Amino acid sequence: MSLPELQKSYFQLFDLPENFALDQAQLGERYRELQKELHPDRYASGSAHEQRLAVQYSALINEAYATLRKALPRALYLLKLAGMSKEDISGQKVDGSFLMAQMDLRENLMMLDETGDPEAALEHFVTEIDVDVKQLHREFSRAFSAGELTSAAGACVKLQYLEKLLEEAEQMESRLIDNQN
Amino acid sequence: MALLNIAEPGQSPLPHQIKRAIGIDLGTTNSLVAAVRAGSVDILPDEIGVMMLPSVVNYTDVRRPLVGAGALSLATQHPADTLMSVKRFMGRGSRDAVADAQRSHYHLADGEEGLVRFITSSGERSPVEVSADILRVLHQRALATLGGEIDGAVITVPAYFDEAQRQATKDAATLVGLRVLRLMNEPTAAAVAYGLDAAEQGVIAVYDLGGGTFDISILRLHKGVFEVLAIGGDTALGGDDLDAALAEWVLQHCGSPALAPGQYRQLHAAARAAKERLSDEVAVDLDLTGVLPSGGAVQVTRETFDSLIEPLVKRTLGACRRCLRDAKLDAGIDNIVMVGGSTRVPLVREAVADFFQRRPLVDIDPDQVVALGAAIQADILVGNRSEGDLLLLDVIPLSLGIETMGGLVEKIVPRNTTIPASRAQEFTTYKDGQTALAIHILQGEREMVSDCRSLARFELRSIPPMVAGAARIKVTFQVDADGLLNVSAREEITGAQTSVTVKPSFGLSDDEITAMLQASFSHAVEDKLARQLAEQRVAGWQLLDGLNAALTADGEALLNEEDRTTLATLMIELQALLEGQDTAAIHSLIERLGRQSETFAGRRMDKSIREALAGISLDSLDDEVMQ
Repeated sequence: MSLPELQKSYFQLFDLPENFALDQAQLGERYRELQKELHPDRYASGSAHEQRLAVQYSALINEAYATLRKALPRALYLLKLAGMSKEDISGQKVDGSFLMAQMDLRENLMMLDETGDPEAALEHFVTEIDVDVKQLHREFSRAFSAGELTSAAGACVKLQYLEKLLEEAEQMESRLIDNQN
Repeated sequence: MALLNIAEPGQSPLPHQIKRAIGIDLGTTNSLVAAVRAGSVDILPDEIGVMMLPSVVNYTDVRRPLVGAGALSLATQHPADTLMSVKRFMGRGSRDAVADAQRSHYHLADGEEGLVRFITSSGERSPVEVSADILRVLHQRALATLGGEIDGAVITVPAYFDEAQRQATKDAATLVGLRVLRLMNEPTAAAVAYGLDAAEQGVIAVYDLGGGTFDISILRLHKGVFEVLAIGGDTALGGDDLDAALAEWVLQHCGSPALAPGQYRQLHAAARAAKERLSDEVAVDLDLTGVLPSGGAVQVTRETFDSLIEPLVKRTLGACRRCLRDAKLDAGIDNIVMVGGSTRVPLVREAVADFFQRRPLVDIDPDQVVALGAAIQADILVGNRSEGDLLLLDVIPLSLGIETMGGLVEKIVPRNTTIPASRAQEFTTYKDGQTALAIHILQGEREMVSDCRSLARFELRSIPPMVAGAARIKVTFQVDADGLLNVSAREEITGAQTSVTVKPSFGLSDDEITAMLQASFSHAVEDKLARQLAEQRVAGWQLLDGLNAALTADGEALLNEEDRTTLATLMIELQALLEGQDTAAIHSLIERLGRQSETFAGRRMDKSIREALAGISLDSLDDEVMQ
């Protein structure tokens, strides 16, 4: 059986406006309301196909929630709704100075091990990236509401670079925790 | 037919009937069974009032296995026949298990397909069968205490149990004939046990130091919904390791003599006893009778013990830090729940309090809290409570992915994803004219296939020959509420498809389960047949009542004339069959009618979503006006 087709966007599913700016409290509230209706636990004494159906609906609600809750997946989803394909987005050119800065940042991250207090240095590093991330969120929000899809997609590509960097920072943090033990 | 009734809350078609549901904590060291009776949740004791059943099975007597305290007392005499801490071997291949087996002095058979089997005087036993023997005793105890057939059970597993270990646990329950309502993560169960009395909302950390594993979970409770934010832990660290550290120290203290398996068991038991007494005393004598020919005793101070276990406790805090980071909290933790006997150790409590800057909750016995929470969840799932009472949203502990070029793993469902989950990803062919694609499913966090756990392999065939990169193969992962995985693959252009329910090769095959089930039930075939007929009849009447109510409410609005007639015809047919004795015919018609009404059920679900949304809109509109 294929996933049930709810003819609604994730935003409609949660009764939210199709905006980048989003009321997280409201999203969470509606997510919980929907799961209270549709979660397989509600059908635990039901028949096998009812349970299957509930699993699929509930999984869809989870997927929608995960997509909207975080900024980057939400931004990419908005672009998809606006008709941009994955290739359209990943095809965006990023300016050379941004790429150079990325390489520097990555190098800095790799060298953190050798500083006197790697944990503090890592925290500082993450805080700085967060500032850039917030800036790009504003950039995306502005471009998207102005209908400038190309610039909005450009901001997403840059966010993907930063996200990757933050992931590496997390791995570094895990290594630091392991080394302490 | 809960689904068909969702639009009629409070209007049960059948008179409300309390069902018997149990929660089982199938622990590494001890197991417990609990149930909700007359609104309060209790551990069910055995006939002499003992709550905990040691998770120990002795196979010396070929006529029947001995489970629990009796088996434990034979551990020294018959070490190879007395299987303890078998949970550590669940769902594991013999290659993984050799070191553990040597430490426990078990004899492993050369397993086929990597299956672990212990050699005992009564023949070979798999970890699943040993666990089933433990479950059987708990099941019997519940039957005796609750006075009738058990409608369903929730069985707890460590949050960090992987696919194979979960499947093995479910297999063990199937062997005993227990209907598993849900596999539930142990820390989540503990949070539920506290949650009902605790505040309406807040963030809870559950620190669970079990016999063989350490789990840490962070949950948010919000108006009756428990959302697991992150789980973490260490599958190779538990309370047993605290005992082992002390035992090792004692051995060195005595000049490292070589010990026979029985003596080693004795030393381990003495170390555990010393650990327990050190929670209240600053120094104890560890009795060496039965360990060394000379006997005697060694004095252990709490200070010594603390220094021995400190590295282990630090390891647990490392996992806590990672888990806190994964949970991405805005504020701190409101409460810490302690689970597992080893959390009675003062150093553990202090370290945890220091780390979270909060006094841990210890009101509920840390040995019982998991079983109590499981019983509450079982009571909810079996339908004894009103809707909206409590809902659990759990996550998967380990990432799931597939093998791509160069032996790399591409993650499809990352760890800490809320379940049930469904994720799809597109892949393509890499050679011109390629007509098949091998799909290798893996679990784990590492990048290389060789560092992850292999769950299953299957092939998508009959892809039409195309140039490389032209085929569009969509691989969909679906994880159900037990954390078990189903994978399907479909070529989008031609529609060729295949799917596999992931059954790890370490578990039992379906045939094996069927054979064992038949063996265990052969003496009770008639009872079973009668029960099956009764069950099918109840199911049939429920389906009819549910459909009647649903058709009355929404039949006109959501179905056309033809669909209504089809349903009505089948319903009349079923009604006639229910008067007879043909269990199989009833079953197959229930299935058919169920499938026939699926679209209807789907439409009603859609409608209920719309209604749920409409309800929320009104509420939030009110809120906005108020503000």
